[in-house]
Amino acid sequence: MSDPVPLTTDHPGQVASATPPAPGRSRRLSDRTLAVAFISPALLLLLAMSVFPLLWALYLSFTDYSATRGGPAHFVWFENYTAILASAQVHLRALTTLIYVVGAVVLQTVLGFAIAYLISRRTRGRGVLTTLFLVPMMLSPVVVGLFWRFMLDAQFGVINSMLGSLGLGQVEWLTRQRTALISLIVVDTWQWTPFIMLIALAGLTAVPKYLYEAASIDRASEWFKFRTITLPLVWPLLLIAVLFRAIEAFRLFDLVYILTNGGPGVSTETLSFHVYKVGFLGFNTGTASAYGILMVLVVIVLTQLYLRYLNKLKED
Amino acid sequence: MRYPQRIGRLSVSGRKGRLAAAILVAATVAACGGSGGGTQESAPKAPATIPELTKDPLTLKFIWFDWPPAHALEAFANAEYAKERPNVTVKVNTVPNANWHDAMFTQFAAHKTDFDIPILDSQHIGEAVTNGNILDITDFVKKNIDVNAYNPYLLAAYGQYPQAETGKRDENASMYGLPLLGDTWTMIYRKDLIGDKPPQTWDEMISVAEKCQADHPGVSGLAFHQANGSDAAAVTYNTVNGVYGGNLWDAKTRKIDGVLNDAAGQEAMDVLVNKMKPLTAKGSGNWFIDEVNAAVAQGKACIAFNWIAASGGLLDPKQSTLGTTREQILDKLGFAPLPSQKTNLVPLGGMGMHVSAYSPQANQAEALNFMKWFEQADIQKKWAAAGGVPSRTDALASPEFLNAGPFNKVYADSVPRMRDMWNVPEYARLVDIENTNVNAALNGAKKPKDALDDIAKQQQGVLDSGNRKGGGGL
Repeated sequence: MSDPVPLTTDHPGQVASATPPAPGRSRRLSDRTLAVAFISPALLLLLAMSVFPLLWALYLSFTDYSATRGGPAHFVWFENYTAILASAQVHLRALTTLIYVVGAVVLQTVLGFAIAYLISRRTRGRGVLTTLFLVPMMLSPVVVGLFWRFMLDAQFGVINSMLGSLGLGQVEWLTRQRTALISLIVVDTWQWTPFIMLIALAGLTAVPKYLYEAASIDRASEWFKFRTITLPLVWPLLLIAVLFRAIEAFRLFDLVYILTNGGPGVSTETLSFHVYKVGFLGFNTGTASAYGILMVLVVIVLTQLYLRYLNKLKED
Repeated sequence: MRYPQRIGRLSVSGRKGRLAAAILVAATVAACGGSGGGTQESAPKAPATIPELTKDPLTLKFIWFDWPPAHALEAFANAEYAKERPNVTVKVNTVPNANWHDAMFTQFAAHKTDFDIPILDSQHIGEAVTNGNILDITDFVKKNIDVNAYNPYLLAAYGQYPQAETGKRDENASMYGLPLLGDTWTMIYRKDLIGDKPPQTWDEMISVAEKCQADHPGVSGLAFHQANGSDAAAVTYNTVNGVYGGNLWDAKTRKIDGVLNDAAGQEAMDVLVNKMKPLTAKGSGNWFIDEVNAAVAQGKACIAFNWIAASGGLLDPKQSTLGTTREQILDKLGFAPLPSQKTNLVPLGGMGMHVSAYSPQANQAEALNFMKWFEQADIQKKWAAAGGVPSRTDALASPEFLNAGPFNKVYADSVPRMRDMWNVPEYARLVDIENTNVNAALNGAKKPKDALDDIAKQQQGVLDSGNRKGGGGL
């Protein structure tokens, strides 16, 4: 048994501490003060850059304020909101956005999961393949929009050139009502399928191997294993990826701006693009703020419903 | 896999959360209080006499969109203005054409600009004046500028507000800018395909283009602006509307519905969509300045329409397949004023110089001095020789201008025929309505008559929405 550690020093009355305070630390700084000091810069930044503008936009949404006209902001209460909800223009953009969100997210989910499933079954080169598939996601949407605009050009674009070499006719990808929206969905899918793939791959690699081994012993078919093991276990994670993508797709702006500018006519104008026009063409800041707040509300309500479903799924 | 924790629930202490929210709301309301106490602004006045100029180094900043005249202006100003003011450097900041309006007016909205001289489209003046974003230079013009040296309509178009709807300058109206660059559309035609003599009427032009397209597979009969951005498709329709005797609006009564979509307007839309559009290249429904120039330079169009100020590149052998020298290209390309039909109207393009109300005083003084310098007769001729399009009558008739490019005579001949769009604060919304609907008609997304009726109805709604309570901009 070793000697006990002395509890006193040579100076009577001075109690030795088992864990001496860090050198230089003031006695006034309690743990709580330190915690506040460390998080306050981030908190202030968050308040200044996110919460405050949101509240300001909320205030402006009840007024007729215009950023350029500069006059007083008169309260119009819910007039902006009722005008937006009753506007046929807004209904049209909402429908376009809905078609776009459903089309893009469904396509990306199917493709992303399929690619992830195929990659997860490989034992060699999985890392390289995953990295290569992630490249589109790392590019700026503006850059993606610009080079797809060239590729989809009806006259000199590489897509029509390839179709021509196959004996097929020219397609006006960006200037016809149906093909323009399809083109937007295709370009968004090209860029964001890797995101779904990445999440799905994480879920697939986390499925315990012994479940497959047990199923194999029971001579279960591949389809049975996929339907009863793979899909149920990956599904909740996949739904989170779908949620993120749906929110992103709902506020699509950049690709529309670069590829079609909302055309032909207004047939590819999404809600976000329309908010931009309301906000910057006539500088109707009050209306644009109300429009933005309504979009946020839609996202919050749909997300809450979605999360309730997700939680129920997990509890089951 | 198990997910023991519920997602999407945030636990915040009730009292603290409510306190934080209350503080934030109070701070927001306090901060917003400033925006509610102001009054409607009007343009501040510039002094009649140029204040004393600084001797310190100063950078005079312009803002324009990215095209050849912007680069020509920067080079010209730094070469020539520096001779008079060696301590001044001129910088022409450029943005993409589609962002031009937003780039200027978002800074105006912030009441702080990183430019001293905004180059506004003639139709932007109303919005800038009403919001008090640019200086009223009426007194400055009276004391420093020889207004009689200009074509009165050009002076009015690029500086006066309210604009001269009749095409004549109102000498009692206030001035907010001075001409920087004149412009209009030129007809560009392939002499080797349709002959040396350009078509004289719009109907003749269409039939010549039709024949040329049929005779030369792979070459489209026509190329013109159809895009739904900027003012592309709108200018195209307005041009045809003018040529076929239509009107954009009745300025006195502010009436559009029933004027734009009258019989002449309908005929113009029918000509554009059913006669001209079939002669364009497939997929050209989003073409603007660059795409039209590319089609001409690649030899893919018999007849094209484009802004004169953007046509210089067509003569550059490096950018063209029509010849290896400027002369060879000019053997094949001809430039002519637009054909006439029921009227001989042509679109007014170009821009004026203005002074930002939020620029420092030293920079505002320098901007006024630059404008006075720029509008001198000999400087306008030098600007013409450098590739600019002047507005002074003497400069327009000068050999320096007429010999600088094959299209400059087209401009000089077109000046008496010009018509502008509406110069009202609601311009940005009016032009967007027209752009999107004409673009829809050109690309088969709307029937031509429906598109024109929609334009008239929606534009009228914008003009009539002055007293609307809430929902402005929809």
